[in-house]
Amino acid sequence: MSTAMIDIKNIAKIYKLGDVEVAALNEVTCRIETGEIVSIMGPSGSGKSTLMNLIGCLDRPTSGTYELDGIDVSTLNDNQLAEIRNKKIGFVFQSYNLLPQATAVANVELPLVYSGVGNRRQRAFEALELVDMANRARHRPTEISGGEQQRVAIARALVTNPSLILADEPTGNLDTQTSNGIMLLLQRLNSQGITIVLVTHEEDIAAYTQRTIYLRDGKIVSEKKR
Amino acid sequence: MNLWESFISSWQVLYNNKMRSSLTILGIVIGVSAVVFLVSFGRGHEANITGIFESMGANAIYITSASSMTQGMSGATGSITLEDAEALANPNRAPSVALVAPLSEKMTKVVYGNENSTVDIMGATPDIAQVISYPVAEGEFISERDVKRGARVAVLGSKTTTDLFGTENPLGETIRISGTQFEVIGVLEKKGGFIGSADDFIIIPLTTMQSRLLGETSARGRPIQTIAVKAMSTDQIDAATEEVTSILRQRHNIREGEDDDFTIIDMQEILSSMREVLGIMSIFLGSVGAISLLVGGIGIMNIMLVSVTERTREIGIRKAVGAKRRDILRQFLVESAMLSLTGGIIGLTIAALGTWAITGVKLGPYPVQAPMSADIVIIAITVAIVVGLASGIYPAYRAAGLDPIESLRHE
Repeated sequence: MSTAMIDIKNIAKIYKLGDVEVAALNEVTCRIETGEIVSIMGPSGSGKSTLMNLIGCLDRPTSGTYELDGIDVSTLNDNQLAEIRNKKIGFVFQSYNLLPQATAVANVELPLVYSGVGNRRQRAFEALELVDMANRARHRPTEISGGEQQRVAIARALVTNPSLILADEPTGNLDTQTSNGIMLLLQRLNSQGITIVLVTHEEDIAAYTQRTIYLRDGKIVSEKKR
Repeated sequence: MNLWESFISSWQVLYNNKMRSSLTILGIVIGVSAVVFLVSFGRGHEANITGIFESMGANAIYITSASSMTQGMSGATGSITLEDAEALANPNRAPSVALVAPLSEKMTKVVYGNENSTVDIMGATPDIAQVISYPVAEGEFISERDVKRGARVAVLGSKTTTDLFGTENPLGETIRISGTQFEVIGVLEKKGGFIGSADDFIIIPLTTMQSRLLGETSARGRPIQTIAVKAMSTDQIDAATEEVTSILRQRHNIREGEDDDFTIIDMQEILSSMREVLGIMSIFLGSVGAISLLVGGIGIMNIMLVSVTERTREIGIRKAVGAKRRDILRQFLVESAMLSLTGGIIGLTIAALGTWAITGVKLGPYPVQAPMSADIVIIAITVAIVVGLASGIYPAYRAAGLDPIESLRHE
């Protein structure tokens, strides 16, 4: 068996609320292969956000192991996690999370600023071209539509050539037509070899993925392959 | 992210919040300009006064009538006489005394052609030149012979010369002092901008002064206002003071236990106590400025804390895409340092303009000096940066410590 992009074993995340311990994730084991496009579904409170945060290296599990692209990240410190996020992962959020004062190209450039590579402006333009937003490079987020903002956000996720893109309800704020456009874009990127994991509420959106993982009460309850 | 990029991005943030940044900077501007201006002003004042005292002779002591401290320049005379001065000049009785220069002063009107001016006339002997060290620029100083003969000759201070003669050559010209004609035989060198009005006086022979301008005698002899005594050396000032006191008490028939009827002023002592007072004044002025600088620093901290709260989401985004703790820490520190540094530079500019504007303005008898020296500039800028960094540390630390997940959820 080759190295999986995401290899999670018996992972748990327990929050303490006063004296009460709440298990947001309970002994979750899952494996996502390199090059897959996978969706995670589940009702509110099912632990899908927690799982996304763990996969995205924004958080550490209470127990269990997590290997990302062959690297055991469950024991890394904050700075090492920041580096993993910077080099291996691209984030796409429901509310786009672009810096409002910065232009599109400056937003796309942001991850490169922290990775300290050269030729940043040009790479940012190339990423914008990949999402058909090169003509909006000088616009600020407030000057473009939601769908366009999400494309810029995807360009930002792409710019470091990550092996994994994590999208947290990427179409949650968009109308159906725009949502379809975004999903086609993600599919196209996936076909170029990038592993994509996304969280969604909608079966229509999940239908664009090869596999859907269903979560409930912090556990994986079922899985559907297409 | 290197430091230069931090500067660029900080500049953009500060520029985007122009109003807020300017008001924050204003606090530092006021602080820095107040410190620099007030300290420069205090120092200039100190130099001014020290200069005046030094020009009066640093190892000299001055003996005046007990009452003359209050009557001062008005020409009043008291217990001191020319005979006292002669007695002090006796090297057997006063071995520590090097030089005795009796002196009388009177403010009076001086006329040359159509020009007239009220000037301090000093009746003196040639020895005075060695006490107050005023080199002659042109012509010559009064001589022993002039004093003996009661010659009507005058040596002019440089300002008096300009006031009366303008650009004309004064040597050999005749001026009228209190109606009496005097020949100008010399002009003194300028003592420099330090003590402008100290160049405004005329020296004439003491004997001439007494016969022509004062014309009084008392039971003890010919009264004079001041005796300037120069000690053999600075170390012997105390010895000279003691000798002078005992000679004068004896001559004035003052019994033990009675108060002196004269006053001895030790220049060195006055100078040092004066310096002390002026030093305290400088510190006081500096602290007034320092307090406003502190308030400015608190302003920066306040605005940085607001900024951290407002930009929580931005911090979350930056962390999500790979910013490390130190990147965020640096970003906020650079921002606050930039605020204070900008404030410091503007404050310095204002202080420079202020000191420039006030220099030369007549405040009291002497023109104001406010030299802005390099050390105070360096200190002010350093303090401004330190204040900025110190005010920025807590907010920056808070920003760097934010949890990326929480920050991204922040509305």
